[in-house]
Amino acid sequence: MIKTVDLGKTVQTSEGQLTILKGINLEIKKSESVAIVGASGSGKTTLLSLLAGLDTPTRGQIFLGDHELNDLDEEQRARVRGEMVGFVFQTFQLLSSLTAMENVMLPAELRNDPDAEEKARELMHRVGLGHRIRHYPRQLSGGEQQRVAIARAFASSAAVLFADEPTGNLDTKTGGHIIDLIFDLNAEFGTTLVLVTHDAHLADRCGRSILIESGELVVEGG
Amino acid sequence: MHFTLAAKFLWRDWRAGELTLLLWALIIAVGTVTTITLFVDRLQQALLNESSTFLAADRVIASSDPIDPDILARAEALGLKQAQTLSFLSMAFSEDRAQLASVKAVSDSYPLRGTLIVADAAFVRGTPITRGPGRGEVWMESRLLPSLGVETGDLVDIGVASFPIVKVLVKEPDRGGGFNSAGPRVLMNLADVAATEVVQPGSRISYRYLFAGDPDTLGEFEDWVKPKLGLEGRIFGVKEGTAGIGSALERAERFMLLGGLLGVILAGVAIALAAQRYALRHYDHVAILKTLGATPDSIDSIFVVMFVLLGTLATMLGSGIGYFAQTAAVQILAPLIPIELPAPGMQPVWLGMVTGFICLLSFALPPLLKLRKTDPVRVIRREIGDASIADRSTYLFAIVGTIGLMWWYSQDLWLTTLVFTGGVVAILALSIVAYFLLRSGRIVGMQAGSAWRLALAGMQRRGRENTMQILIFGLSIMLLLILYLVRTALIEEWQAQIPVDAPNHFAINISPEDTGPIRALFAENNIASQPLYPMIRGRITQVNDELARERDKRREQTTGDSGPGASSGRNLTWSATLPDDNRVIAGKWWSSEHTGEAQVSLEEDLARSNRLKVGDRLIFSIQGRELIAQVGSIRTVAWDNMRPNFYIIFSPGALDDFPSTYMTSFYLEKDQKLFLNELLSRYPTMTVLEVDALIEQIQTIISQVTLAIELILGLIMIAGSLVLLASIQASMDERFKQHAILRTLGAGRKLVLGSLAIEFCALGFFAGVLAAIGSEITVYALETEIFQLDYHVNPVVWIMGPVVGTVLIGALGTIATRKVVNTSPTTVLRGL
Repeated sequence: MIKTVDLGKTVQTSEGQLTILKGINLEIKKSESVAIVGASGSGKTTLLSLLAGLDTPTRGQIFLGDHELNDLDEEQRARVRGEMVGFVFQTFQLLSSLTAMENVMLPAELRNDPDAEEKARELMHRVGLGHRIRHYPRQLSGGEQQRVAIARAFASSAAVLFADEPTGNLDTKTGGHIIDLIFDLNAEFGTTLVLVTHDAHLADRCGRSILIESGELVVEGG
Repeated sequence: MHFTLAAKFLWRDWRAGELTLLLWALIIAVGTVTTITLFVDRLQQALLNESSTFLAADRVIASSDPIDPDILARAEALGLKQAQTLSFLSMAFSEDRAQLASVKAVSDSYPLRGTLIVADAAFVRGTPITRGPGRGEVWMESRLLPSLGVETGDLVDIGVASFPIVKVLVKEPDRGGGFNSAGPRVLMNLADVAATEVVQPGSRISYRYLFAGDPDTLGEFEDWVKPKLGLEGRIFGVKEGTAGIGSALERAERFMLLGGLLGVILAGVAIALAAQRYALRHYDHVAILKTLGATPDSIDSIFVVMFVLLGTLATMLGSGIGYFAQTAAVQILAPLIPIELPAPGMQPVWLGMVTGFICLLSFALPPLLKLRKTDPVRVIRREIGDASIADRSTYLFAIVGTIGLMWWYSQDLWLTTLVFTGGVVAILALSIVAYFLLRSGRIVGMQAGSAWRLALAGMQRRGRENTMQILIFGLSIMLLLILYLVRTALIEEWQAQIPVDAPNHFAINISPEDTGPIRALFAENNIASQPLYPMIRGRITQVNDELARERDKRREQTTGDSGPGASSGRNLTWSATLPDDNRVIAGKWWSSEHTGEAQVSLEEDLARSNRLKVGDRLIFSIQGRELIAQVGSIRTVAWDNMRPNFYIIFSPGALDDFPSTYMTSFYLEKDQKLFLNELLSRYPTMTVLEVDALIEQIQTIISQVTLAIELILGLIMIAGSLVLLASIQASMDERFKQHAILRTLGAGRKLVLGSLAIEFCALGFFAGVLAAIGSEITVYALETEIFQLDYHVNPVVWIMGPVVGTVLIGALGTIATRKVVNTSPTTVLRGL
């Protein structure tokens, strides 16, 4: 499902060039759940943004499904994201001006899917927020906001779900519920899960862990 | 096309208050433009209608011979209204007295514009009437009745025909001046002229053909008729017909255009600021949409649809508000506006709507279209993609839009170029000055107390944003100062041009031996008069050994200018001293004891159009004899000051060998008009031209134009204040964040509010200094290049700029940002 070949990312800073990722080679299979772990600044979030097609590498290749992301322009990468990718972020990233339900409808609406509302309603019930569909993000707790974000991620019928520190802004108990929800839905929809975390317990729940240190892939464990 | 999504975002952003500023900026832009355009349009029409009464028509063909009947047939075919007048000097006889009168015969449709004022007895207040005398009757001016010893109902003879005096003529719209207005007026019907047998071949008669109709048809007729008129005939409208009103109207129009133009720029700045703020606050939204699969094209389509919907709403609301605002303004100001305004038309409303959309495209759309480039990684790393949303294409759109609007609005490329170039130079220069002002502020701030230090250090830290804000504040204040200064200069110029006691009568044909007694008579009756100037008819025959007629022909062939040339006959005079209001622009004025070779001083336009310069040797033909003179100086003449003015003035002694008559001008109060009878009965050979009615009308028009200008200034002030608010609003987010953090660190409300007030006062002060510099330079260019006024340094600006800046920005800024201290830091920080 996902493959990288000699993937590298270098950025220009005021103090010169900074290499964030150095020659990463990895492969993630369909329906697999993989945790990317590492210390702050190790490059794990950069790796996630490259794998998801949010950013472009400075060297190497990325394959997502049948697409080689390097060959695609911004327009095409956006389409691939819309068709294949769902996201869950640490800071939820909901649109504050839309209701919970409308946030969940967005991916389908962007594809002009006429069933956007029906699917969104179903997912809102599935994440346990059927009674909060008309609420705005500011009216929801952190845990509830993250549930909405999860519902939105699955609303795009994504093949791959990328989650960046999904429990980072939540207390332990709520975080636990969120992780349960993600793994349940992942199993239900047969999605490939790529999860960035520095929580060892969370990483343990994934099928495989990838340890990144100073931009290099150090360990791949099962 | 994501229409539903766009409509949903629009509605939600509106409810969340994200679009309030932008919507208001657009509404005010369209509203201001609509109000100004509607008002200017109505006022211009009204002033032109009013001014047309000076001619009793919209266009006049004046000729010394009857014109080709085909011309009248063409006017008839075009559907223009027509009338005709015929003026000549003739003696009017009562049973035992006679008086030279200026007779005007008018057709039945006279006057086409304006009204006549008539009374039933002499020297009483009259009532308006819209038609002239009927057949077989005459109307006479008041002072003619006592000089002929008659009353209304008595008979007078004009030529061989007798007519009863039916009315006393108090005022006629197209009284004007000129030779045939020399005596007191007798008005009669055109059909009765033949019966008088006064008009014979060779008689000196002025024919005037009057036309009225819609402006387009009149323009078409004028274009067609111009080449058909001979040298003796000319067609003119109110602007060309009466120099004083013409220039006043033209300058007023230019001022209104300038006002409208500045209104558009101010509105554009407000829109750009609001759109920039909106775009900045939507980076994150777009990044999220992109992670969900929104392509750059779909981002474009969402925001374009949103803004087209917003633009439509804003232009409709703005036009409506503009329409009602000007209607209300007219209602409120009705007692102050001495003329009736015509009904508002729809064209200014369309103009406002189109302006709204152009503003939207030029100022709001470019920053929004930049949103497509938002990096989706921003959802993970917020610091990415925070680069400026303005790039070259943004500036290009704004520049093209601004120039396009200015040009379209002013219809004047030179004015547009001048204002735009001035603006760009001012922005560049003022940016540098603003930067150094900020630096100096920091140095001062370091020596001051905590609120000061906090404010000034904050200003320095946000150097780029604050430089920008100072520039915007400075430009807004500058535009307001410019408008204020130009308005003041214009009004002062007009008031100075025709002062209340400007001479309103000209006396010509005064014999040399009468000059002393006439001067004494004026003094005896406390009549203010100008010096008596000798006047001799003559023409230039040779210029530097070349025949003047040959030069004129050549000039006509090369420039197409068939107007009076060097060889045309002119009134000549001599003077030891330079007349008041004349200014030497080349060469030198002679000393009062000048002797030796004769010199002449030429009027600027005469010299320029005939390529005459200082040092040229001219031969004049005067009364059949030759006189050689050298051009000693070129000078400007204030033609509209109602004093004797001359194209050509000789040095003392040059005209001593030529017998001459004298002329002067003098001022008479309304109740002194009977003095004319005494003057003319004592000196029957002299001729008096009465221009008092004309001056009175010019003064009325000028007071109306002045009022219009004050109103435009008021409207632009409102637009300017909106820009200031928009600019303050645009910096609110940043201030919210910074002061919320400061308050969590223990800064009290008083300290935060104090530092905000100091920051805005300092920004206002710096902006005021910039505005003073910018406005002084721009006003210099505008007054000298566009309004043809004399420039004077404006010390008031150097005080007003900084004071207005400090007070206005300080107050507006502190009031508008009070929310920063009234919102709890937790609420602010949670939103970060």
